[in-house]
Amino acid sequence: MVNIDTRGLTYDVQGFTVQDGPGIRTTVFLKGCPLRCLWCHSPESQRFDPQISYMKMRCVGIDECGLCLAPEVCPQAAIKAGEWVDKPAEPGVQIQLPELDRGKCDDCGLCAEKCPTEALFMAGEEWSVDRLVERLLKDKTFFEHSGGGVTISGGEPLSQHDFTLAVLKRLHEEGIHTALDTTGFAKWEVLAESVPYTNLYLYDLKNMDSKQHEQGTGVPNQLILENLEKLGQACADFNRKSIGDYSSAAVAAADPRQVAQIQVRVPVIPNYNDNPANFEVMAKFCQKLQANGALKIIQLLPYHNLGVAKHERILTQGQILEAPNMDDSHVEPLAEILRQAGLPVQLH
Amino acid sequence: MYKKSPISERIASIRERYRNTVPTIMTERFKIVTEFYKAHPDLPAMKKRALVFKELCEKMPTPIHKHELVVGDLTSIYRGSALYPDCSAWMFENFRVTDPRERELDRYEVSDEDLEYIWSEEDFWLKNNLSHKMDNSLTPGFHKIVGNGVTTFGDKGCSTMPTGHYCVDFELVINKGFKAIGDEARAHLAAIDGKLYGEDAKKAQFYEAISIVSDAMLTYAERYAQEADRQAAACEYPERKAELEMMAKTLRWIFKNPCRTLYEAVEAMYLYQTASGLSEALHGTSWGRADQYLGGFYQEDLEAGRITPEYGQEIIDAFCLKLAESNRVSGSEVTYANGGYTSGQLITLGGVGRDGKDATNALTYMFLQSADRLDLHDPPMSVRIDDDTPEELWEAAIETTKRHGGLPTFESDNAIIPALAKRMSLEDARDYCLIGCVEPAGAGDEWPACGGSGQESFWLLSGLANQAINNGENPKKGPDGKTTGQTGIATGYLYEMKDFDEVLAAVEKQMDYFVDWHIAFTNIHEYVVAENAPLPVISAVMDGCMESGKDVSWGGAKYNSTGFAGVGLGTLVDSLAVIKYMVFDKKLIDAKDFLEAVNSNWEGQEELRQTIHKIVPRYGNDDPYVDEIAKWVADKFSAKVSAATGPRGNHFAPGLYPVALHVLYGMISPATPDGRKAGEPLSDGISPVQQMDKSGPLSTLKSTSVFDHSEFPNGTLLNMKLHPKSVEGEGLHKLEALIKSYMDLGGMELQFNIVSPETLRDAQANPEAHKDLVVRIAGFSAYFTELFKGMQDDVIYRTEVEL
Ligand code: SF4
Ligand code: SF4
Repeated sequence: MVNIDTRGLTYDVQGFTVQDGPGIRTTVFLKGCPLRCLWCHSPESQRFDPQISYMKMRCVGIDECGLCLAPEVCPQAAIKAGEWVDKPAEPGVQIQLPELDRGKCDDCGLCAEKCPTEALFMAGEEWSVDRLVERLLKDKTFFEHSGGGVTISGGEPLSQHDFTLAVLKRLHEEGIHTALDTTGFAKWEVLAESVPYTNLYLYDLKNMDSKQHEQGTGVPNQLILENLEKLGQACADFNRKSIGDYSSAAVAAADPRQVAQIQVRVPVIPNYNDNPANFEVMAKFCQKLQANGALKIIQLLPYHNLGVAKHERILTQGQILEAPNMDDSHVEPLAEILRQAGLPVQLH
Repeated sequence: MYKKSPISERIASIRERYRNTVPTIMTERFKIVTEFYKAHPDLPAMKKRALVFKELCEKMPTPIHKHELVVGDLTSIYRGSALYPDCSAWMFENFRVTDPRERELDRYEVSDEDLEYIWSEEDFWLKNNLSHKMDNSLTPGFHKIVGNGVTTFGDKGCSTMPTGHYCVDFELVINKGFKAIGDEARAHLAAIDGKLYGEDAKKAQFYEAISIVSDAMLTYAERYAQEADRQAAACEYPERKAELEMMAKTLRWIFKNPCRTLYEAVEAMYLYQTASGLSEALHGTSWGRADQYLGGFYQEDLEAGRITPEYGQEIIDAFCLKLAESNRVSGSEVTYANGGYTSGQLITLGGVGRDGKDATNALTYMFLQSADRLDLHDPPMSVRIDDDTPEELWEAAIETTKRHGGLPTFESDNAIIPALAKRMSLEDARDYCLIGCVEPAGAGDEWPACGGSGQESFWLLSGLANQAINNGENPKKGPDGKTTGQTGIATGYLYEMKDFDEVLAAVEKQMDYFVDWHIAFTNIHEYVVAENAPLPVISAVMDGCMESGKDVSWGGAKYNSTGFAGVGLGTLVDSLAVIKYMVFDKKLIDAKDFLEAVNSNWEGQEELRQTIHKIVPRYGNDDPYVDEIAKWVADKFSAKVSAATGPRGNHFAPGLYPVALHVLYGMISPATPDGRKAGEPLSDGISPVQQMDKSGPLSTLKSTSVFDHSEFPNGTLLNMKLHPKSVEGEGLHKLEALIKSYMDLGGMELQFNIVSPETLRDAQANPEAHKDLVVRIAGFSAYFTELFKGMQDDVIYRTEVEL
């Protein structure tokens, strides 16, 4: 049963997201994730509770403001004067920024309340289903023009499954194309329940080797692979019911809002999963999905290091992979392995 | 698939020369005009303007520079700039205060002798220029309202040019020619001569002037032909020699006969525009639908085997480079508004034809190709979007604008045609073009007179907020620490107002008052021009003038309007939202304290200022709280302006675009209630206030389309920033869908800067490495590194997108 009274915690709702499915999309980023990927590019999505974030670029400096440093602001005395940097709009003019002590801070958010520029802000906003759906419907014109819609992403949206399912259902009833960006690390029952309301799964496949999967993400891959296989079948069943056919061709020709499909997403990480062996196993696995008409495409996303700066922003102590951005030419031979197996592939 | 192709060696070397030549101020035109005006103090205005043009066509240098294929220049040297003391005498004082050779922006070379010579004629021109006549025509009331912070004219030195922002009928130039135009004028004259009833005496003057300027045009072309002959005779390279001979032949053919080939047509249009620049300062002189009137020639050339696609593209390259080279020196302060030697000669591409069907052709693509492969910021280009705009055109336009900010802009046929059809026939409305920066107007059949008097054509919506809450005073203090006193209507102070409706009522009163003053100024300017500086060189090729026997300034064009550009919509709307939220709805601050904080430029009130930025709903975020105010302002403004009439039997046409003056006018505007400090840029066009569009592009597009754009036939301008990442790969189609959605919401115009803040910062630090980086300011594009820092920062502000 879909519970519509539930509330969700997001860290962002963003319009015109480009990498989250077809057309112009608005993406809801839910907070909290059971995985800890080393290359995570939205580290603020990991924890399940609101947390303090600091975007340096917005801070006007201690001299001009300094409100967060007032002794009565931080109960933990976690804020002190920190580094001097160039003022963003005026290189050459130096300003001093506050510095937060991660060890002491308990994310109470009192400093964010004081900060007038929103340099300090709380990542994590609570929404009711109604309020979120109302917000998303504001962008309906754009969805209609572009064959776009809404993507629920995270974090892991299925970790807040009551909320996610309720939102998907409501959007589906409004005739809006829905996509669910998932790690697949969730109970099968939950995933199964989403099928009637989800038109496109953006399903991450990180590593076919369970040990390595665990090294890179903190969890083994059995559940993820099992779920993906079952999901392929469930999509096929759904499509047969919905449009009377489950072949790839029929699904491709149908109104995307009446079918369920899977877009497999592979973040290609240097020295982790960028080896041919991994892709050969992956190819075999994906052929099964293709056979039941559920596979839309496999999308390869070459590593980029955007996450590094964001880690700084939320003051994580966790690990983050720091490597140069990966060139397309490095990914091309891996894509070729999938193509050779007759699979549809897309870069970026 | 769109592909950027390489340029020829010849074009590459012209481009190289263009990028490496600092323009020079030359006095050839100045001298001829001075001598003529001194020798003929007694000529009536119409004849004087015709004869001085004739003199210029007979005496001005006619250079053909190395490698050139398309020719025409306003001075004897490459990238020279002519002076127009007959229009306005700004240069005397300005050159004294800031040596043009030492300016921060748009530096010019000029010789000491020339400067001395210029100053030696100062006394004469101070009394004889058009601007002087304007000063003497202002009514007494003007002296009392100067410094109000809404209207932008002063009570002297106004009107830096007689005209600007229009498009003549290039089909007449190309397909009819000046021989036939002169003959037609002479026939009209012969028909009425000796029997001048009613207005005929005036018409006779007009026809005689058209006859004179048409003949002069033939002389001018012939003199260029002679120069081509001379160079051909001296040329050692057989290929170039043959080309020069071909050019001489062309120059002897055009103007006398209808053009037959693409090259002839391009040379004819360019040479006409050059000649018109001898007469009136190049100022927003637009090309109209160049792809439409050239497309047929290209097709025929191809079919007859006269031309290869590569050579056709080379002609367009050469043409575009000529436009990029051309420039007009302006006052040092003006360079802060539109720096980068911009002459703003806009080209309109695509859109529906007179029959309502999409008329995209090969030339549409060739112009975009030239802009892209030559890395040019000038000429500006606009692409008209209709229901059947081909996929390839979308792709070419988006690919070009990805690399060159604002090139092209995107214009909605569905919004613009109905707006114009209110004053012209449906077919003529379908044939519209864009002029100046983003102003829709008739192509060759309308005298739209926007930007007419130069920079005084702008009107600051933002200033209304200050006037309305300060009892009709501009709170800006002069160097003496005093304000200019009461310049508006006494509507009381903010703390005397009971509720927000009273604030709105005060805004409306000030708006009505200052719109009327602006209209008074513009209409006086019209009379001054019509009586002292009519425009026969333009009227010769403007539909309607020949039939009516009237100059464009006398209302001779088929259609007439007067543009009226409001600047700073976002700043005003946000100011009102802040007052509503902080003072009335949430009562977070006492009205007196708030007014005090604004008027003291937020001195010691940084916390309040930042809090305002943080908590008040702002325009651009799809929030009805403030978008309703935007709609209220837009509705009131458009209704008031549209109701006003001008002397050519026309109505005023409201627009919301700043060219780029939002930065300059921001520099002289006091702090505004939205938290903006004195001196900071105003918002541009209908865009949200810089950095206040916190909810992303979709919300911005929703907000900016809350009001009816078709009530703004003079144009709306929306500048959008996007991070390059958002248009990679598939993003291209999403951008197309984004533009379409906006247009379906009623949006009229949209332009983009698709560049990351990192790139721009790097360009500030290492200008040499980013010499060719083109960005869009508002009404024009420019090389980023040639802008002044304040403008650069404004652009960076708009691109601040966090990923
Ligand atoms: S969020 Fe952290 S730094 Fe801010 S006030 Fe609370 S404990 Fe202090
Ligand atoms: S309160 Fe915010 S803006 Fe002020 S110094 Fe602290 S972080 Fe910077």
